[in-house]
Amino acid sequence: MPQTQLSPQEEQEKLLDEALQVVKVQSFQMKRCLDKTKLMDGLKHASNMLSELRTSMLTPKSYYELYMAISDELRHLEIYLCDEFQKGRKVADLYELVQYAGNIIPRLYLLITVGVVYIKSNESCRKDILKDLVEMCRGVQHPLRGLFLRNYLLQMTRNSLPDCPPNENPEPVKEGEVEIRSGDIKDSIDFILLNFAEMNKLWVRMQHQGHTRDREKREKERQELRILVGTNLVRLSQLEEVNILRYQKLVLPGILEQVVSCKDAIAQEYLMECIIQVFPDEFHLQALNPFLRSCAELHASVNVKNIIIALVDRLALFAHRDDGPGIPNDIQLFDIFSQQVSTVTQARQDMPTEDIVSLQVSLINLALKCYPEKIQYVDKVLETTVEIFNKLNLEHLENSSAVSKELSRLLKIPIDSYNNVLTVLELKHFAPLFEYFDYDSRKNMSTYVVNNCLENGTEIPMAEQTDQILQLVSSLVQDQADQPQEEPDPEDFSEEQNLMGRFMSLLNSDNPDQQYMILNSARKHFGNGGNKRIKFTLPPLVFSAFRLAFRYKEMAEEDDKWEKKCQKIFQFCHQTISALIKAEFSELPLRLFLQGALACGEVGFENYETVAYEFMSQAFSLYEDEISDSKAQLAAITLIIATFERMSCFGEENHEPLRTQCALAASKLLKKPDQCRGVSICSHLFWSGKTREGEGTEMNGEEANPVRGEPKELQDGKRVMECLKKGLRIANQCMDKSVQVQLFIEILNRYIFFYEKGNEAVNVQVLNQLIEKIREDLPELDSSEEMDQINKHFQNTIEHLRLRQTSPESEGPSYQGLEI
Amino acid sequence: MSFFGFGTTADIDVVLDGSQTRKYVEHKTEEGRKEKYPLYYDGETVAGKVSVSLSKAGSKLEHQGIKIEFIGQIELYYDRGNHHEFISLVKELARPGVLTQSTSFDFEFINVEKPYESYTGANVKLRYFLRVTIVRRLTDITKEMDIVVHTLSTYPEVNNSLKMEVGIEDCLHIEFEYNKQKYHLKDVIVGKIYFLLVRIKIKHMELAIIKRETTGTGPNIYNENETVAKYEIMDGAPVRGESIPIRLFLAGYDLTPTMRDINKKFSVRYYLNLVLVDEEERRYFKQQEIVLWRKADRVRTGGQADESTAWGRDYQA
Repeated sequence: MPQTQLSPQEEQEKLLDEALQVVKVQSFQMKRCLDKTKLMDGLKHASNMLSELRTSMLTPKSYYELYMAISDELRHLEIYLCDEFQKGRKVADLYELVQYAGNIIPRLYLLITVGVVYIKSNESCRKDILKDLVEMCRGVQHPLRGLFLRNYLLQMTRNSLPDCPPNENPEPVKEGEVEIRSGDIKDSIDFILLNFAEMNKLWVRMQHQGHTRDREKREKERQELRILVGTNLVRLSQLEEVNILRYQKLVLPGILEQVVSCKDAIAQEYLMECIIQVFPDEFHLQALNPFLRSCAELHASVNVKNIIIALVDRLALFAHRDDGPGIPNDIQLFDIFSQQVSTVTQARQDMPTEDIVSLQVSLINLALKCYPEKIQYVDKVLETTVEIFNKLNLEHLENSSAVSKELSRLLKIPIDSYNNVLTVLELKHFAPLFEYFDYDSRKNMSTYVVNNCLENGTEIPMAEQTDQILQLVSSLVQDQADQPQEEPDPEDFSEEQNLMGRFMSLLNSDNPDQQYMILNSARKHFGNGGNKRIKFTLPPLVFSAFRLAFRYKEMAEEDDKWEKKCQKIFQFCHQTISALIKAEFSELPLRLFLQGALACGEVGFENYETVAYEFMSQAFSLYEDEISDSKAQLAAITLIIATFERMSCFGEENHEPLRTQCALAASKLLKKPDQCRGVSICSHLFWSGKTREGEGTEMNGEEANPVRGEPKELQDGKRVMECLKKGLRIANQCMDKSVQVQLFIEILNRYIFFYEKGNEAVNVQVLNQLIEKIREDLPELDSSEEMDQINKHFQNTIEHLRLRQTSPESEGPSYQGLEI
Repeated sequence: MSFFGFGTTADIDVVLDGSQTRKYVEHKTEEGRKEKYPLYYDGETVAGKVSVSLSKAGSKLEHQGIKIEFIGQIELYYDRGNHHEFISLVKELARPGVLTQSTSFDFEFINVEKPYESYTGANVKLRYFLRVTIVRRLTDITKEMDIVVHTLSTYPEVNNSLKMEVGIEDCLHIEFEYNKQKYHLKDVIVGKIYFLLVRIKIKHMELAIIKRETTGTGPNIYNENETVAKYEIMDGAPVRGESIPIRLFLAGYDLTPTMRDINKKFSVRYYLNLVLVDEEERRYFKQQEIVLWRKADRVRTGGQADESTAWGRDYQA
């Protein structure tokens, strides 16, 4: 038959199958012999079966399978022997007999099996047998076989280890009596610790055997086997009599000595974590110092950070547990960790900085979870971090570097856990750490801080805090010395600045005076933001100032200086808006001035008319000086007119020049249709524009009592008509017929509006004339999409009139004589 | 015995005194079989009764005398013709005459010196036997009966532990220690191997018991080595600082006491051979002689001890 090459995996399967086949046959024979009470033959077959475990061909995984199959079968033997011994067979003989096996592997498996049965049937020599078994296992120095053998020992003795306190006053052994040596907890601890030490040595030794090119494979195999070593620790933790005291005095020192002295990174990392996981938190709390001290002594490539973090996480969880006692008061958990972490850091000179920072991260987690009320602990960690960075002379940590990432993580923790930037600001060493970042990281962190404020709606109630926080996030507020030369992506930039705009709304104090100071502080920071930023940041500031003015008005009765304060606020706004003008913005300040004028008029403090007038006039001068695009002009003037129409704070003295200015500006627009529309809009100023009358100071003999006149609509029908007629005239001058008709229809609508408002200067004849004119012109126009809209507009207008004609409103004007 | 019908023949039977209570032990025959023989010690009286039964009732047996001998002899296989008798005692049972009926004769060898242990080896055999001879004119009628002799020793006065550091320079350095130099046959060898330096890849380590049988003298010395026990004491490669326990129960093996220069004919000595085998199957070993001696059995129920011994042997095979 041709020899086919098997893959390593198939080879393994084949070998394992063969071995399992032998196990099956031999175990069957063994059981048959036992059934016939032929113990010696049974043992012989057991030994044959166990010989399969002598193989060197199997991978740890396959060996494990084989081991499991065999240890299953050995259970039959164990049960049989237990029965035999209960029937009175002498055990000591058998303990000797099984040692005649020539090969050590079967011999020791049998010895363990018999030894445990011995212990179970008679505890009086338990101590000696346990000691003997664990010592004899030294004969197997092959790592894999030794590990499994010792695992078998550990499994078999699982329920047979002495777990009672030592007898402090043993009775003296009398002449001729045999001392009962059933052992106590100390023997169990010695037993497991020795087994553990030996297993660990075997496990570590695996690393150094075989070819270097197989290292990766070997390490993988070691990881697969680690549980065998760890089981020792599990067993220790399961002993009732391993209490805190014994843990401190015997167990932990024993484990740590082995862990430290083995000098193997894989073992140290796993075992340290294992200790953390298998022993109760109460134990850890009482033995923190030795444990952490050992961390400092571990191999350089051990990730100590992970170990400490694991411990911190566990203790933090423990501190949080509802049913737990919490951290005892006499244990200064944070101080211990803080000190030991610094020892670890110092002991490991080659520790990467990011890991040092990671440790600080775990410390900060500890502080936050175990002592949430102690801000100073968190600050202490940050201070230590500052010191570390100073010592290492680090600055401008690159955004992508691991250190920078860890530092970000460190700083994000207080942000995320407090969810309150005000608490964060109390940490004195928080802001200084920002300085170690490069520009990008600083900006990312700043964004993080601001977003946190926004998400949590954290209001900033003090000017000082405003100052601090804006200083902190200055990379978002002002140009930075280290920022890159090229322009930022405009989309990102506007997103980032919009964030700051939104942040403005959080600068909020219940106390208006404080709020005023906040605004001033914010103004200082944002004012230095440069032309590109202030476009985003100053408008919200101005609006916030307007709101403040309204608040002062609301509390006018409590604060007799409110009017002066409002005056100052509007001065502040004026200045702020002017900053935008200086930055060569025009439409934005124009709108802000108009908004200011409206606010001014509504707040109505002393001197408000003058201030409002100033704001209006500023808007006008912006309009005149800065806005040149005709479309923008029309939009601006429309806005000015509309704003002005809404205002009711002006007396005739101020109203007249403003409305004249509006009309003048409208008629001076460049394009005829714009002129026409501007003028038509102006018509409203003469109708619903409001002035105050009866303004003055009442003399009632005691104190001067200023009297505000009541606003009154102008309702100057004649001037309205003049405007509209002027509009018609201008429309007539338009060359484009369709535009002309469109304008006519718009003016017709204004006529109708005023007619319905009761302007007597408008009558049915005027309407008829205009409708007729439109009807004449409409058909002459070429149809187009635009025409359809114009037509529709007209039809709708006519429809409205028809409706009014057939069912007039009770107080509306009559449409008698209207020809439609 | 005569098959030719000349005269009368007789059967001889020897019954030892106390044969019901005497201990019987297994002893290897030359063919390698194991048979049970009555056990005697040095100085013990060998007594019993010889029965001569005539084959045909009523016939007569004429003889020149009947005697019984107690013989201790050494046979060297290469020299079968020459038996070296170191003991030869004779007792006359009957003067020449005629036996007309079956007769028994009592005999007694008082406090016989039996200086050596019965032994069946590869090239030599030491045996004790009783021989009854009915002397006749043509062919004597004889009957032999073997007994087994065990030599007992007392606990040796000096019995230090065996400790030694051995090795190969810059390659392997070990220290071993056996708890004694002299072991009785049911003893346990307890010891320890301590590895001081390991630069070779050891695969396993075993302890062997070697029996060396020396026969002949001068230029005609024959040495026959036999590995009586082979016992793995370590699996895998140790590192510096490991100490490996040894515990070897001797009771399970086919051992005799050490015999030195027995009657200037032969010696049987035992050695412990510690062997380390490396991955290339190279063997590194160190032999140490140990002295085996026989200790008087403690009073105990014999059955179990025998069973365990027997099983130990099977098991080893």
